[in-house]
Amino acid sequence: MRAPRTASATCTLVLALALAGCRAAPRPSDSSGATPPAVSRGGELLVSVRSEPISFNRHAARDSTTHLVMTLTQARLVRVNQATQALEPMLAESWTTSDDGRRVDVKLREGVTFSDGVPFTARDVVFAFDAAYDAKTASVLSDTIMAGSKPLKVEATGEHSVAITFPAPFAPGLRILDALPIYPRHKLEAALKAGTFRQAWGLSTPPGELAGLGPFVVSAYQPGQRLVFTRNPHYFDKAPDGTPLPYLDRLVVDVIPDQSAELLRLESGQLDMMTSEISPDAYAPLKRAADEGRVKLVDVGVSRNADGLWFNLKPGVFAADPRGAWLQRDELRQAISMAVDRQVFADTVFLGAGVPIYSAETPKNKAWYWTGTPQTPHDPAAARQLLATIGLTDRDGNGTLEDAAGRPAQFTLMTQKGRPNLERGVAVIREELKKIGLTVDVVTLDSSQVVQRFLGAQYDAVYYNATKTDLDPGTNQDFWLSSGSAHPWNVEQKTPATAWERQIDELMVRQIASRDDAERKRLYDEVQKVFCDHLPIVFFVAPRVYAASSARVLNVTPSDVRPQLLWRPETVAVVH
Amino acid sequence: LTRYLARRLAFAAVLVATVSSASFVLARIAPGDYVTGSLGAHASSEVIARERARLGLDKPLAVQYRDWAAAALRLDFGRSMLYDRPVADLIPERAVNTAILALAALLFATAVGIPLGIVTGTRRGGVLPGLIRAASIVLLSMPPLLTSLTLVFVAARTGWLPIAGMRSAGGAADSAVLDLARHLIVPALAIGLPLAATLERLQAQAMRDTIGQPFVLAAWARGLPRSRVVWRGALKAALRPVAAMYGLMIGTLLSGSFAVEVITAWPGLGSLMLQALRARDIYLVAGCAGAGALFLALGTMVSDVGLAMVDPRAGDRGAHAEARA
Repeated sequence: MRAPRTASATCTLVLALALAGCRAAPRPSDSSGATPPAVSRGGELLVSVRSEPISFNRHAARDSTTHLVMTLTQARLVRVNQATQALEPMLAESWTTSDDGRRVDVKLREGVTFSDGVPFTARDVVFAFDAAYDAKTASVLSDTIMAGSKPLKVEATGEHSVAITFPAPFAPGLRILDALPIYPRHKLEAALKAGTFRQAWGLSTPPGELAGLGPFVVSAYQPGQRLVFTRNPHYFDKAPDGTPLPYLDRLVVDVIPDQSAELLRLESGQLDMMTSEISPDAYAPLKRAADEGRVKLVDVGVSRNADGLWFNLKPGVFAADPRGAWLQRDELRQAISMAVDRQVFADTVFLGAGVPIYSAETPKNKAWYWTGTPQTPHDPAAARQLLATIGLTDRDGNGTLEDAAGRPAQFTLMTQKGRPNLERGVAVIREELKKIGLTVDVVTLDSSQVVQRFLGAQYDAVYYNATKTDLDPGTNQDFWLSSGSAHPWNVEQKTPATAWERQIDELMVRQIASRDDAERKRLYDEVQKVFCDHLPIVFFVAPRVYAASSARVLNVTPSDVRPQLLWRPETVAVVH
Repeated sequence: LTRYLARRLAFAAVLVATVSSASFVLARIAPGDYVTGSLGAHASSEVIARERARLGLDKPLAVQYRDWAAAALRLDFGRSMLYDRPVADLIPERAVNTAILALAALLFATAVGIPLGIVTGTRRGGVLPGLIRAASIVLLSMPPLLTSLTLVFVAARTGWLPIAGMRSAGGAADSAVLDLARHLIVPALAIGLPLAATLERLQAQAMRDTIGQPFVLAAWARGLPRSRVVWRGALKAALRPVAAMYGLMIGTLLSGSFAVEVITAWPGLGSLMLQALRARDIYLVAGCAGAGALFLALGTMVSDVGLAMVDPRAGDRGAHAEARA
């Protein structure tokens, strides 16, 4: 397997940094051990992204830069505090929930205006839902703001109040609305009526035509180079001391495709913040820079997300393939889980910065993680025995396994190229499985090819990311429900293909509907137990997440999901 | 000569059409597409189908190519899916940035490589020619990726120069031209240093070959000063093989350098092509490839004209050959 250019560049850079040992003079603002400077209004923050946004319209794209633009320029009714996981108000000032939990009456902030000066009203909220659920729009957010695969009903009950009705009792409640930006109706209603909402606010839209309720406005977009955001003078929120937010005057987002260049700019003071995770390779030089006071390096903890291996479990897909007899069996996945040494995996893929995991939830999710999750031991001999129960044994004594007809036990493992963690991961899996006699052919493809093959069920197995946006399992129905579009091993099933998937569906429906937290926890523990019994996805290691910023950045609260340091951009400040 | 130029222009048109068509077809038939790449693994099949229909990706390849080719004849190269802008608008913007970088790199390479090649080509021994030769070999053996990273690293550690981008975000400290010049140094050196080494090696070899020619030996014999023999007599003749290489160099440079543009975040044609390929934006891929082919064809033509100016026989040969044809 050939390492991608960016990966080799990173390695070269890290080697160079490690060998260099030369010290840059600390910047005047460095003050290790001193009292942190007071937060004050003003200044500019220079941030980097790896790629440009796909659109200024969050409904049209789910890439991280489009999401960052939304976070900076738009507001939602509520926001999940990424530090406490509590729901906090944004445009919704307060809300009351009916006894049956289905109806939520929301009181909106009054006196709020969009960045172009037009007042914000309940009609904008109704419009936001209309746009998200519009069939022609086919918003990428629509699944996220469904309750049990059904849309919410929203009506304006006053100029500054709305009633949100859930189709059934829905435990996560307003939490799912953290994903929904409230775009200006007066700017976009015509596009929605014309059926062109998804195409609205593409990258060719002049910044002056964009408007929002977020802390910043787009003031310039230079394709291929940068986005410049300036303070939204109409932003509604204030700091506890009454200071109008945001603190920053300007926020510049530079497009730097190469992580090596990003890191060097950060270290040399030409960048304040990266929006992507720090790769394990980059940790050591950044730690040195942090020790010298040139950057701040934050250990955010274990990630809530991990990459996983799953097989194509679509029924009948291997009907004409003799491997079908064993490729979709639970025993195969359980054997793989036993065969891979998770400590070796963590050391090789994440250079030690990772923790072994055995299920879909990582220890990051303290509230919902099943403490009874079985810790599968690394036991290659037991793995071989398990494979023998499905007919895979070494029949010719050559060290590799064969099926009953003497055909080699071999499958293709697909992953995305250009992502070092995935590429290193499949290399470890291949080597570990080779030790128990399974032959793995690794194929690395562009992300679009991986997705196309995966959605078309044209693969044996894939090692890829199974991302969850929120820690509350009720918000991840598209992953858990067999009908979900993010149910990776067999997407969008009309009826559950297996009894255990039907069981998960039933448990999740009850889990989502329950208003008793203890009952929800018990039901979700059961879901995780069923998951562990059948292992539709084999997880190995969850990485530790690190974030870095320049020493002059103040008032950031890190999160393990992007944008790690900018999820609450209005409170970020700099020494200036 | 007019007919010769006309044929070269026709050749350029055929080259552009072939390269852009091939790029379009290859990008289109490869597995995966813009929609699956941009919507990701969580999109429903219904949404994917609708988006493909909107972008015309559901049409058969032949129909899609026919529509694109017909529009291209009217200089409409389609709309970039990634940027939601006409390809015909995007490419000139980026090509200008690449041209600025290419010109700076070429000027640097010429100003450094040619004189150093003359020095090493006319002196057999000595410390200086040895050092120059060694430096050239080192630079030639380093891939552009490593050269770029080394320069970026030096810039980062010293803090003397900006590491990435084309202009400062604020742009208030310097004038626009000075700001651009400061940003230009690292990427121009990353491209220009290996080019200078190439020119040095070419020029040195050409000088060595020329100095053995009878007309140079005769000049030495007549007792003409060394500087006059080298800089007036031998140099002009020795420039021919170097000039022949210029066209290819210009064409290649104007097509954009993936590695250097990506590492130094220079918003040129190379990085645009890379983004287009990654996003599977077939119209933009075809446009970038066509622009690269156009630059290569024009560069070769400029080189031929330059060669004719240095050596009129070359131009005559070309023109006469065309006349015979």
